[in-house]
This record gives sequence, structure tokens and C-alpha cells, in this order.
Amino acid sequence: MKRYTLLILSIFALLPAMRAQQSAEQWFEQANGAYNAGCYDSALMLYNRIVADDLESVPLYFNMGNAYYKKQEYPMAIYYYEKALKLDPSNDDVRTNLAIANLAIVDKIEPVPQSFFEKGWNGLKCSLSGQQWTILSIVAFALLLVSAFLFLRSRNIGLRKLGFFAGLVMFVVFALSVLFAAQLKKAALTEDQAIIMNPTVTVKSTPNEASIDLFVLHEGTKVEILDHADGWNKIKIANGSIGWLQAENMLPF
Amino acid sequence: MQPENNESMKKIFGLLLFIVCVAPMTLWAQDSPTLTVSAKKEVVVGERFQVVFEANAEGKNFQVPSFDGFTVLGGPFTSSSSSFSMVNGSMSHTIKNTYTYALQAYKEGTFPIGPASLTVKGEKVSSESFAIKVLPDDGSYSAASGGGASGGSNQGQSQNTNDPQVSGKDLFLKVIPTKKSAYIGEQIVLTYKLYTKIPVSSLSVDKMPSYAGFWTKDITDNNGGSLRQSTEFVNGMEYTVAEIQKIIVVPQRSGKLNVDPMSIECIAQVRTESNNRRSNDPFDIFFNDPFFNRNVVNVKKELSTSTLTIDVKNLPDNGKPASFAGAVGSYDFRTDIDKTELRTNEAFTLTLTVSGTGNIELLQMPEPNFPPDFEVYDPKITTSPNITAQGMTGTKKAEYLVIPRRAGSFNITPIEFSYFNPTNGTYSTLSSDAHFIQVEKGSGDDGEGGIYASNQEGIKYLGSDVRHIMTGNPHLKSKQSSFFGTAPYFVVLLAMLLLFIILLLVSKNREQSKLDVAANRNKKATKVARGRLKKADQYLKVKDQNNFYVEMSQALWGYIADKLGIEQSKLSMDTVSEAMKEKNVPDDLTQQFVDTLNSCEFARFAPGDAEEKMGDLYQKGIEVITKAEKVL
Repeated sequence: MKRYTLLILSIFALLPAMRAQQSAEQWFEQANGAYNAGCYDSALMLYNRIVADDLESVPLYFNMGNAYYKKQEYPMAIYYYEKALKLDPSNDDVRTNLAIANLAIVDKIEPVPQSFFEKGWNGLKCSLSGQQWTILSIVAFALLLVSAFLFLRSRNIGLRKLGFFAGLVMFVVFALSVLFAAQLKKAALTEDQAIIMNPTVTVKSTPNEASIDLFVLHEGTKVEILDHADGWNKIKIANGSIGWLQAENMLPF
Repeated sequence: MQPENNESMKKIFGLLLFIVCVAPMTLWAQDSPTLTVSAKKEVVVGERFQVVFEANAEGKNFQVPSFDGFTVLGGPFTSSSSSFSMVNGSMSHTIKNTYTYALQAYKEGTFPIGPASLTVKGEKVSSESFAIKVLPDDGSYSAASGGGASGGSNQGQSQNTNDPQVSGKDLFLKVIPTKKSAYIGEQIVLTYKLYTKIPVSSLSVDKMPSYAGFWTKDITDNNGGSLRQSTEFVNGMEYTVAEIQKIIVVPQRSGKLNVDPMSIECIAQVRTESNNRRSNDPFDIFFNDPFFNRNVVNVKKELSTSTLTIDVKNLPDNGKPASFAGAVGSYDFRTDIDKTELRTNEAFTLTLTVSGTGNIELLQMPEPNFPPDFEVYDPKITTSPNITAQGMTGTKKAEYLVIPRRAGSFNITPIEFSYFNPTNGTYSTLSSDAHFIQVEKGSGDDGEGGIYASNQEGIKYLGSDVRHIMTGNPHLKSKQSSFFGTAPYFVVLLAMLLLFIILLLVSKNREQSKLDVAANRNKKATKVARGRLKKADQYLKVKDQNNFYVEMSQALWGYIADKLGIEQSKLSMDTVSEAMKEKNVPDDLTQQFVDTLNSCEFARFAPGDAEEKMGDLYQKGIEVITKAEKVL
């Protein structure tokens, strides 16, 4: 049954990508070769060709981030690391390199401390990627059914008890994984974060050039996009400050 | 007493003896006191001249008029002299007090000078008032100034005499750079030279030039405080040349850099023409002999150089080696190591030597790359510059004291030193030799002495970098290909749910059919038992004991087994009585059934008197089965 599920899964997941896969993988290999040779520009050109084919993956974005880092274009490096992290929040390599790249930018913002519950919840959510949560939800559902079957049909009292409790656990796992997978998918589909690309920008109090200057941000800083209004974005930075910034100053992801 | 000037002294000189002889005498024939004034009546704007008031008696309270229209340069310079003379036996005593003012005219016009006054023995004596006409400056006053001043001839040594002019051809200051166009960092030697055809008695530097944008080093050759002098021909004329200052300047930025002028003030000794001197004094003729230097006038002259502009070029960008650190000039580079085979904790010295022409003082030494386990002390840097007329040359040494702490073979990679050679405009890179160092284990540091000190140490991080790119299968997927929430996802879930329901139904049917089997047996039990009992009845009639008991026993066992759903293999007295208890069969019926079974089995294996027993058992059998039929 599990094998069956996985088979279906992989077919559905990979089918649309099959067409371009062959050449894209070659490009990826060539790009890695160029990176190793220190030709970061040509590596990026090849990586971008893959991106232009509407393909994405954690290694692709990670390598692009690395190439930009080596070119000392830190805002772009951060942008691609963040993109990779969005696909797989649990990837340790990406987290490490993002942390290193964040040391190279001007703004150092103390994030608002998270509560214990929030930290645990987000930590749990980010411990697996969206795809992994999806698979887990299917597996948990299957195990839930197996447990229910045991509970309903077993004539052995021990097996029935096991089925009951395993069923309860599996239900919780299933519910959580569906929730997380849904949240991660929503986050992946909406571009609700952005990286500042202009060397210095001034955040305003309203979406109007004449309004009061609130604070100054520099390139490479990550912001959360809360709202849009005719070419302006309402943004929130890690320490909780909120203001308006013209959309052309940032690259959303 | 006032310091007497030479003129007076020489007059007194001859009369000294006489003065001594007649000094006690107090009674003298004296003229009435007068105060006379002498000055030029016509001067030119800018001309310096003297106004001399002369009194022939001792007086007090000398009052001067205001010199409106003139600048008072100095005064009053007072001098007094007295003389005795004996003419035809009558003796006369002359006293002469002079008050001298040095004035300069600064504007045209006629300016009256009021009377001066002096009180002599309570009597006020005044001089005549007069006027001085100041003429416009036509450039001729310097020519006329040699004569005129009657008092001037008495003041030969004074700097305030009428100035003879010193022309720019006779005395000038010049700055000579070795080049006017240079690269950043290239050294230029500036020489400030004083060219003169006339003797110069002293000079002082008024203003030192400022060298904005330059690094400077003064290399003036001060041999014992006197200036280096030489002779040069300029435009066919011979000049005495003195080097005022020699300085190395090294431009630090590009563009047109200005060196501000240097200005000096010097006192030139100008020979005045001897026929300008008028004196009736026979002593004068003797003492004005050139031998006594009487006819030399000191003239103060300010000289300055013109502003010097140096065109500084940037170092070319193409071909700039990575190891270039700003050295400009022409250099040699080598490294020396004092030993290459040593034991741990022994020191060796690596010496880097750069020698050549260029700004050796500002030279940045290249840094060697030591293996990380070496303990390296800060280098001792010694600079030995050697100043020549062409600029600075010399040697710079950096000595590194290094102690290897671990045994092994080490390699000190070649050190590169780059410089820019301004003469051909190219960069050169020199590379030192590589040094291989063999380090043996020292005797004291590896626990041979019985003390097992741990040699462990933490990992030394030498740098940090981002983690390397991910290689291998990139697992590329189409964007937004998330499987979650798509139709296939729900199809998978539904399929599993469907499968679950089917399985549930299937298992329920099978259970049902199992139950059906038991019900069948239950249904058939009476029928089977009746059949067996019929057979037993037949055996009873023919008195076949053996078969009767067999049929009887099978009828009972089979019935109860079918009724209670007990498998044949598990059939025994205990299971039967247990199963009956479970089915809530009354205890007496159970007991009766078990008793019947027991007596049947007993009679079967221990046959005794036949008929009554057989008939009795048959009746009992029918009875319990009938009873059981009602309950079960």
C-alpha cells in the first residue's frame, strides 16, 4: 500500500517537469562546473536558464545564492537563500549560508523574541519541507485507517486497544501535517516577503513621498509585505517596525 | 656715554692726549646755543632719507615736530661729540649733539616740518621750520640717492642709508626640480639655489614652502652650518651658487600639485661708488680706503621662487600585480633563512631584504605566509636609507623570528614583491625562493620524561566561508508543483478511504459466513442426533452392545459439539461443561448431560449386563437431548 502511494506520488509530482528535466540537469551540472572554476557569472547565466524554464529546487537556489555571495552581491545571495529556505525550511546548509550572508549586510535588526509556544510551533513546522509534510499526511492517513481497521475488526482485545491509541496518535499527526503542508504551500504561493535591493532606502509613514521619514533600511534586509497600495508596499521588519516603501526598492519572493 | 660712531672717533683719536691735559679746565669761550636742521628738500615717493637736528650745546628736553606725510622709520638716534681746538693760542671747545630721524616719504606733495626745540641752560632754542617736497616716483630716485644725503656719509654702516638697488640679475633664488612630471610615489629632488654675483652677508628664510600632497624629506647638506657653494655660469655670467635647501618630495596623489614659493630675506653687500663721498676731512680720505670697507652698503633684499607645478600621474591600472603595495622605484628583493633543519621549539629567522632606489622609508614590506602552526613574532624592521643627489636609495629589512611548535616538513611559499618602475612605466614582480623547513621532534616536549602531558589542542579555525554548492541530482521541479491540495492528493486519500471501507465490508461478510456455519451445525445437530439414536435403537433391538454404545456416544458428543460450536479436536468433558456454563445452561441439566456422557463412555469400555442398562441409557440419552434442545 505504501509503495503504491509513493508510486502515485512520484508520478504526479514529476510528470509536468519531465519535459525540460533532461537539458536542465545538464545545465545544472555545467553551472556547477563553472562555479568550481570560479566563473560565477557564467554559472549564474546557466542557473538562470534553468529558472527561466520554470524549474526550481533547493540545490538550484542554494547554488545561485552561493554564486552571488562569491560575487559579493550579498542582497541577491540572501534573496536566493531565502527562496531555497522557503522550499525547504529545514535545510541546514541553506540556513548556515544565509546566516553568513546576513553578516555582510549593513542592517542588523534584533528580531522580536518569539514565545516558547511560537518557537516550538514554527520549529516543528520548519522541521520538514512542504513536500515532506504532504507525504507524511498521506502516510499518517494510511496508518490511521489501519489502526481503525484493527480497532473495529480485531477479536483480540490487545490489538483493539493498540488500534485505538495508534489511531488517535495518527489522527493528530495527520491533522498537523495537513495544517503545516497547507500553510507552507500558501506561503510558497504568495510573495509575502522581500529583500531590499537599493543601497539605502527611507521607509515612510504613509504611501506618499511627502510623508514623514520613519527609518532607513539598507540593501539585503528582509522585510515582510503586509499590504500593497499603488506602487507602495506596507512592510514590516524583523523587530516589528512597520512602514511604507516603494515596491521597486525590493525583490519579493 | 653714547656709543660714538667711527667718524667722531677718528677725530678724537688725534686729540686724545690733549683732552686729558686740559680736562680740568672749566672756563671756555662759547658761542650762543643754536639748533640747526639739515635734510633733503626734495625727495621721491618711497625714498628713505634722514633729518638731522644738530645742537652746539648740551641741552635737555628735546622736542620734535610731527613728521606729517612721512613714515618714521627710526629715531631719534642721538650722538654727541665734543672737541677742543687751539687756534693761534686761543682755545675753543665745540660740543655737537645730533638727533637723527630716518623717514620715508609715502605720498606726493609738499609737507612742512615744524621747528624742533631744545632747552639749553634754561633757555629754549628752536630750529627753523622748513618744507620737504615729495616728487612722484619716476624710478630715478635710486640713481639720485647715492649723493644727496649729507648726514648719510657719516652713517656708512647703517642699513637705513639710501638703498642702492640690487637688480634681479645679480641676485636671485631658483628652485630646480629633477623632474616636473612624475608618478605617484616617485621621488623628486627639489634644490633651492641662491645665485649671486655680489657678496651676501646673511640670509634668513622667511617662508618655507608648503608641500600639500607630498611626503617630504629634507636632505640639505649641512656641513657645519655653512652652505655648500659652487660656481655656475648662467647666460654667460659667472654666479656664485649656494644651496639653500635640498628636499626629496614624493607625491601622494595625482593631479597638478603646487609647491608654494619659498621666500628668503638676505642682506647683500653693495659697493657704493667712492666719488659719491664728499668729505673735507683729511682723515676720511684715509679711512675711506676700500681696505677698511668703508664704501660697502648692506642692502636688504627679499627673494622668492616662483610657484612650481608638478604634474603627478596615476600609476597605470593595467598590469598591476596582486602583490603590488605602492612601491615605486627600482628594487631588488630576496629572502634569507638562517636554518632549515631544526627541532621543535627552536627559533629560526627569516629575513626579507628590499634594496634599491625609491622611497625606502615608506616602503611596505611584503608579508611571508607561514604555516599556521608556527609561532611568528612581529618582524623587526630596519631601514637604512642612503641619501644621494638623485634621491633616496637604501635597504629595508624585516626580520621574522619564527618558532615551529610541531614537527613535520613545512614549506614557506615564495614571497612576491612588486614595484612600479617609473623610468619605463611598467610593473615588475620579484619572487623570493621557497624555503623548505624540516622540523624534528624536540627532546623535551613529547612525554619521554614520564610526564604524560596531553598535547591536545582545540581545532584552529583559519577562516570562514559559505558552505560549498550542492552537487548531484538537483531534483528540479516545476514551480508551484506542490502535491498538497491538488486533485491527485485528494484522490489518493479517497482511494485509501475507499479501500478501507471495502476491506471493512469484506471482513464483515466473512465473519457472517463463519457464524452461518455454526448456525448450520446447530440446526443440523438435532437431525444428526436423531439419526444416530435411530441407529442405536436398531442395535439395541439386535442387542449389538458395541455398535450401540458407539452410536450412542457419537450422538451425544456430536450433538453437544454442534450445538455449542466446539471443534471436534477440542472436545472433552471440561470444555463441554464450560461451554454449557457459558451458554447459561442450568447446572442440573449440565450435570445430567455430563453424567449421561460419563455412563455412556463407561459402559462402552466396560460392558456388563446388557439389556436394562442399554435401554436405560437410551432413554436417558433421549431425555437430555430433548431437554438440551429446549435450552439451547
